[in-house]
Amino acid sequence: MIYKVISKKEFTGFIDALVRSNSSFAPRQVDRDHHGNPVYQFQQVQSVDDIAFDYSATASSAKHFFLPFREELSRFLFHGNDWEQQITYEANPVVLIGLRACDISALNILDDVLLNGHFPSPYYLARRKNTFVIGMDHLPLADCFCKSMNHHTVTTGFNLFCSDIGDHYYLSINSSKAFNFLREFETRDPNFDDNCMLVERRKLIQNGFQTEIDVTALPTILDIEFDSPVWEKWGDKCLNCGTCAMVCPSCYCYSLTESFTPNLKAASREKELYSCNLVDFAVVAGGHNFRPKKGDRLKYRYYHQHRGFAENASQQICVGCNRCGRACLAGINPKDVINDLRMEKESCVTCVSSSPRKI
Amino acid sequence: MRDLRFVITPQDINREGFASSVPDFNRRSEIMRTDMGYKCMVTNIVRLTEQERLFQLHIINPVERALFRFRPGQFLMLELPGYGDVPISISSSSSNHEFLELCIRKVGHVTSALFTIGEGTRVAIRGPFGSAFPMDEMAGHNILLIAGGLGIAPLRAPLSWINEHRDRFLDVDLLYGTKEPAQLLFTWQFDEWKMINHIRLHTIVEHGDAGWKGKSGMITDLFNDIVIDTARTYAIVCGPPVMFKIVCSWLDRLGIPMNRMFVSLERRMHCGMGKCCRCMVGSTFTCIDGPVFDYWTVMNLKEAI
Amino acid sequence: MAENMTQHRVPFQRLKIASFDFTSCEGCQLQLTNHEATLPDFLGLLDVRNFRELSSERHDDYDIALIEGSISRQDEVERLLKIRKQAKILVALGTCACFGGVNSLKNRFPVKTLIDELYPPMNIETLAVRKISDLVTVDLSIPGCPVNKDEVERIMVSLATGSRVTLPKYPVCMECKAQLNTCLFELGEICLGPLTRAGCNAVCTSGKTPCLGCRGPAEEINMASFLELVKERGLSLDDLQEKLAFYNAFEPWQNHEA
Repeated sequence: MIYKVISKKEFTGFIDALVRSNSSFAPRQVDRDHHGNPVYQFQQVQSVDDIAFDYSATASSAKHFFLPFREELSRFLFHGNDWEQQITYEANPVVLIGLRACDISALNILDDVLLNGHFPSPYYLARRKNTFVIGMDHLPLADCFCKSMNHHTVTTGFNLFCSDIGDHYYLSINSSKAFNFLREFETRDPNFDDNCMLVERRKLIQNGFQTEIDVTALPTILDIEFDSPVWEKWGDKCLNCGTCAMVCPSCYCYSLTESFTPNLKAASREKELYSCNLVDFAVVAGGHNFRPKKGDRLKYRYYHQHRGFAENASQQICVGCNRCGRACLAGINPKDVINDLRMEKESCVTCVSSSPRKI
Repeated sequence: MRDLRFVITPQDINREGFASSVPDFNRRSEIMRTDMGYKCMVTNIVRLTEQERLFQLHIINPVERALFRFRPGQFLMLELPGYGDVPISISSSSSNHEFLELCIRKVGHVTSALFTIGEGTRVAIRGPFGSAFPMDEMAGHNILLIAGGLGIAPLRAPLSWINEHRDRFLDVDLLYGTKEPAQLLFTWQFDEWKMINHIRLHTIVEHGDAGWKGKSGMITDLFNDIVIDTARTYAIVCGPPVMFKIVCSWLDRLGIPMNRMFVSLERRMHCGMGKCCRCMVGSTFTCIDGPVFDYWTVMNLKEAI
Repeated sequence: MAENMTQHRVPFQRLKIASFDFTSCEGCQLQLTNHEATLPDFLGLLDVRNFRELSSERHDDYDIALIEGSISRQDEVERLLKIRKQAKILVALGTCACFGGVNSLKNRFPVKTLIDELYPPMNIETLAVRKISDLVTVDLSIPGCPVNKDEVERIMVSLATGSRVTLPKYPVCMECKAQLNTCLFELGEICLGPLTRAGCNAVCTSGKTPCLGCRGPAEEINMASFLELVKERGLSLDDLQEKLAFYNAFEPWQNHEA
């Protein structure tokens, strides 16, 4: 990692040059909600002026640049009684600007799951390798809880990370490509004051969190609370709409479908991002549903998010961005669900410890 | 405005150097293979029952054929282009490198389509995937194989392995139960197993018919026929969840250690690679950590049985 | 061309198809003639026996009957029963056939009032509007107002190749989120997206028009929670009832205790 400092004016020129010569995506305001608050999404930008640098959080994560909602995995071309399988890993270079630390952490988690297992995904790899990621730090929103998940800072997984230190950005340069690009612009080595300002900035962010989730021993609590009524309570609210998984930066579960093209000369094998809350997620051939209850499906989402599965060494994949909580129409959010689980646990502890006195 | 063209050139992940820049590939050389199937010719289809057929596959490309190796208990994804793929456990001997045999029951849409194809059709397989029965660890012990219904299909691979290395094992019992006599599979091999391989075969059906001379009842009724030396026995149990739940708890009561009982679980796998998360049970994936689990692990998977 | 297709040595046969319109706008059938890029391929799958939007041929030896529209007259009932006898696969095409559709608005009034007010001085014979499954067994439903041609294509391919015919079981939200739309509830509207079966690619909500549920309920919808949501956001329950009733697709849930 090489650290540099760049003035905001020069930075604007740098981003503009990058945007003008590449297919670039950055936060843009797409709507205003009925309270008058802006709604942001990662959208294509043509110049630096299109970018909302002061954005809060995008409604949807940047996941789909790496894991498209729908993607063709392979194609079968038929000739006579024979066929040929074609696989292409197409990925056009993309510049992604303005990712938050938690979003980049989510990418690192996806790297772990999709690249470091027994079967690395070439589709993901192609996109990951051909994406130039520029991160930017931000002050936490009222409902962010990435600090609790320890994802409020990030040290890998990006090409360039920018911390706002007043008139300048403090740059963490993490790739030769980013370094070469910046050579064309006026940067300087950080001095003592810059370093102090960076530390101050980090402290400001660190202390800015209003929402915290106690994740102590959460994997164990999830195991113990497998049959807790809490799941049914929250499951009853769940609309089974899959929104939480779609906006999540780290949900990667999917479904495979295969179909002939209308001329029957080819068939396409497609992958579609799926959600564990959808009714038929655990349906097996013959129609049996292993998880017919809403609560069971919701529980599995929390299991995956906060306990993790074997493939990624039981790592928690939730980064604490709370996009699912914001997007959920039924008001289901990680903070309340996990607190509820803990309450369940703590009330148990109370009743166990108080019972001897009763005798 | 300075005119600077910062074109990021597309990186070709097919280049070896590029792939190697990603840290910690367990199987770097396999990255290109994950979705590419081995093309196979269906060389023979044997109708076993109304609902079950045995498909014999021959990998067409000799190089791929030489590469394809599996261990008893593993499964593969069988792809019928245009219709989709299904996880199928391999029923043939792992030492047979010429042919693979898959025992398929018509349950879903892909298997239904497979029942319409004829010999000579070209299908694809991906894999092998998943865990296997620890045949080496089992050597030197008595083996108790218990199959219910289609559970005989995943058992046939370890059974072949035992037959081929018969001198490494002590007593081998095979308990096999189905609903009706007509549903007993691989009956043509029963004599071979009994006479040549000295396997004690005990069959039972729930509802016998006029021609049925064997035992009638549940598979648990066979337990009285066998003597188990619990200190020296490994058990492999395959069948519907309700069956292995009963059988395993019985074996447990007898005193066979949980880590010497193995079961093969079934879930709907989509990818076979631990990525799609469709087959997760508890906190494990059936496709990567399973399908073969020891009973201790299964006990710990909340949803398993 | 398709005639020579013998995929996996399974001989392919064109689908002997006929299409019939009942009380409807014929928009769904017209929709099947759209999508020019794949129209020749689509027609290659079909042996059109009777389909007035596509061909002037008239034959009665069809296997698949597409039924567009709801049933609102006695002669329609008889015609439908006759078609049912011939068809091996009877398909409810479009929202009217599947649920009654917009035509069901008629059922809010007594039939006599309608005749007196709309068709004086003629004495028109008319019935309350019914979906076709009220009268005959339906083998396959393709909802939508109008139907999504991509989906019809996919289903016809499945029928021709003997693959499984499926509709998404999940609601429109999945497709809406994939288009990065802002949730219409965030914009202060009631949208039936969370209740409605996906497959339309969220066309309405992508145009910031709330979903009215033309594709009918998704699998296992949670109406109790949805009502809670509408109440909690202070949105109009009348508006909700109006939307649920629009296509008559949520009939079992209508007038759900508000």
